[in-house]
Amino acid sequence: MQLPVSAIAVSAAIGVLVVAGAYTAGRLGHASSAWADSAYWLGQVLILVPAAARLLSRRVLTAGETMTLVIVLTVAEYLVMICYSPAAFSYVDELQHWRSTMNVLQTGRLFSVNYLLPISPRYPGLEEVTSALASVSGLSVFTSGLIIAAVAHLLFVCVLYLLFREVSGSYRIAGVAVLCYASNSHFDSFDSMFIYQTLALPFLALTLLAAWRLASGRIAGQRARWLALAVLTIAATVVTHHVTSYVLPVALLVITVAALLTGNRRAAAWPAVLALMSSAAAAGWLVSAAPQTWSYLQPFADLTVQSIRALLAGGHSSAPPTSGGPPGDQLLGAAAVLIVSALLPVGWWQVWRRYRGQPWTVAMAILSASWYVLVAVRLTVTDGSELAGRAATFTFIPAAYIVALAIGHLAGIAVRWQARAVAAAVLVVLLMLMFDGLANGWPPYWERLPGAYQVAGSERSVEPEVIDGARWTLAALGPGNQFAADFGSYPVLGSYGDQNPLRNVAYLYTSPVYSQSDTLRAQAQALRFVWVDSRLSKSLPAYGQYFPVDPRAGKYTHPLPAADLDKFNHVPGVGRIYDSGNIVIYELPGT
Amino acid sequence: MSRSQADLGLTATVAVLACAAAAVSAPVAVTAVLGILILAAPGYLLGELLFGAAIEGLERVAVAAGLALCVPILGGLILYAAGVQLHRATWLGLLAGLTLACDLVLLWRRRSGRAASFGWAPRRLPRRHAMAFGAAVAIAVCAVGIARAGVVWQHYPGFTQLWLVRSQGNAASVNLGVANHEGKTARYRLVLLRNFRPAGSWNLTLANGQTWHRSPSSSGRRISVKLYKLPELAHSYRYVAIDGSGAQ
Repeated sequence: MQLPVSAIAVSAAIGVLVVAGAYTAGRLGHASSAWADSAYWLGQVLILVPAAARLLSRRVLTAGETMTLVIVLTVAEYLVMICYSPAAFSYVDELQHWRSTMNVLQTGRLFSVNYLLPISPRYPGLEEVTSALASVSGLSVFTSGLIIAAVAHLLFVCVLYLLFREVSGSYRIAGVAVLCYASNSHFDSFDSMFIYQTLALPFLALTLLAAWRLASGRIAGQRARWLALAVLTIAATVVTHHVTSYVLPVALLVITVAALLTGNRRAAAWPAVLALMSSAAAAGWLVSAAPQTWSYLQPFADLTVQSIRALLAGGHSSAPPTSGGPPGDQLLGAAAVLIVSALLPVGWWQVWRRYRGQPWTVAMAILSASWYVLVAVRLTVTDGSELAGRAATFTFIPAAYIVALAIGHLAGIAVRWQARAVAAAVLVVLLMLMFDGLANGWPPYWERLPGAYQVAGSERSVEPEVIDGARWTLAALGPGNQFAADFGSYPVLGSYGDQNPLRNVAYLYTSPVYSQSDTLRAQAQALRFVWVDSRLSKSLPAYGQYFPVDPRAGKYTHPLPAADLDKFNHVPGVGRIYDSGNIVIYELPGT
Repeated sequence: MSRSQADLGLTATVAVLACAAAAVSAPVAVTAVLGILILAAPGYLLGELLFGAAIEGLERVAVAAGLALCVPILGGLILYAAGVQLHRATWLGLLAGLTLACDLVLLWRRRSGRAASFGWAPRRLPRRHAMAFGAAVAIAVCAVGIARAGVVWQHYPGFTQLWLVRSQGNAASVNLGVANHEGKTARYRLVLLRNFRPAGSWNLTLANGQTWHRSPSSSGRRISVKLYKLPELAHSYRYVAIDGSGAQ
């Protein structure tokens, strides 16, 4: 395909327009219709196919064209995300950071309590930049947040492209690597949302770019400048996101080891220095400002270690079946895993043949092996899909680069052999990876199009009655009350309501009587209010669970009985303090 | 100021105008543009101070953008550690102050020959490509507009909020309220009961979005309120109830 990049930009814009039309159709009552779903996919085809085809075409692009293509693709997918919720934040993770930012704006203080995500105020980078922009511009937190997230996401992709270009020496490989990276299932969602990781990623990438420049030895007289940049970006990473600040020294350490393995001591020195600096900064921040981080991350770490131990011991891991979805999506997901798993060894072979003396490429090869760990985690660990998805943001950086080397090699074969079939197959493989990222990413299939309220529907549970109910709690009851709430209302109550919704409250909604043991348990949790949404008795939970911690997750065959939800009306001493039709709030006695 | 210092003049002007706009409470259309520029300015200037012409193209833009994001993060943290609260004046002081300071340092470095002067050689894009990119931007803007229109057009079922809570700091009264979110004007009858006996009633007509409040006494063992949406009087539309203070 010989389309100019400007024409590809028009195609991508039309794709965004078609997706926006599909979203609007969903909002107007067609969220479950096949044609609206098809329109969504048609829009994605218009965005992705011309860009991928142009990058892999026989007529090689210029460096500027490749860069423009990468930017067009990133901006187009970001606009798709904006079109999903263009008037206010609705993604649960975004609501958490919206609350933290509002707290900074309202109080002028950092480290204020955020009941929904208590760790977020301890890493205030995103909230600082957003509140700075909102303060000086007069724009809303929503608009300011979108601007900051857009700049951060685009910056991350651009620096990633620069890194890939420097390491490979080829802007074409860099372009393909960025496309491969964009196929990770979180690229269009959790890597570009208004959340702290989105902002930390470009700092991580800039630090790696500074390390590359420092180690390359071609910057006589500029070392101090790149070192200064690295110091600033390390500091910014550390105060912005915990996991990214831990990934950074690990990556630098592996680069150091790779440099030593390849006998290049000079290339090892600067990454080693930066690894030490970033380790010290992360540890210092952990101890001095964010000691809660360990208790926040520990459950994830424990769960992973336990499941892997059980698996290695020959027993069964505690993992439930991995998340379902339409068979087509699952098939695409499985095919993508197989494709990446097969392409990585081809890429490693290329590294061995052509790049085994290059420390950074060797480091990428070493780190890309973590892809297989990710697949194992996804298949064996409880909540493995989520863990694997979150880890993919980092694991996919080296994996995408090695896969791009493999794809570049195969595309080269296609050109040499004049084999159109091979060229087409390479393009199909790349597109399968990218569509898998969309099909099995976020939002999930049951809310791919925005639409009417869904029980436990994540973004589709964020609707006016829930939002106004949450706002009422803040106005009438004040902030920080301990609440019981369902999975869908939980993030709205914690953000718009600034309440303290507890996670382990399923027992309050799953029996027809409010027993003495329930009373004692509620008192032990210091619960003050119970938020009851009667729609829980009308349909099954879209997410598979009705409550944030739900012992029966994935096992429901009928909606909750209405009697289990209404029982508080008959309990002496329980006040029924709020009624908006679907939502009733009860005040428990003795609080 | 010569063209070779045009960037310094521009950033200094932005800094001054941003402060002036805040002082006179300029409209958001003005403060939005100035706010975005004043957030970007320190990053650009720090990038010039650190690297000047040593880096170019995408790398130069990326470094400037990264530094622009670093400034409020690290600057805000330092100011907060120094006991300064992070309100609008603080952010403006930080961003405008740093911009002007960097302007002065860069001016001095350029005059003393230690930094390269400002130079900008815009690349000419062929007209048809420029038109195509312009069309892409216009289509993308339309796409976001259609998505926003979808939010406006989306129909949600209307609802009415009724609440009854103990007054904070005044045990002798309760807060009773009704808010209409039905999407249209609605007529209600509100009946207050003490110990299950009628103790008062109100007929309300509330426009969409309108709220009604009262603070009746909390006397009685049980206070309950039934809200009827007229003309339906057979079944209550909303219902709330709490224990009273016990006094009769």
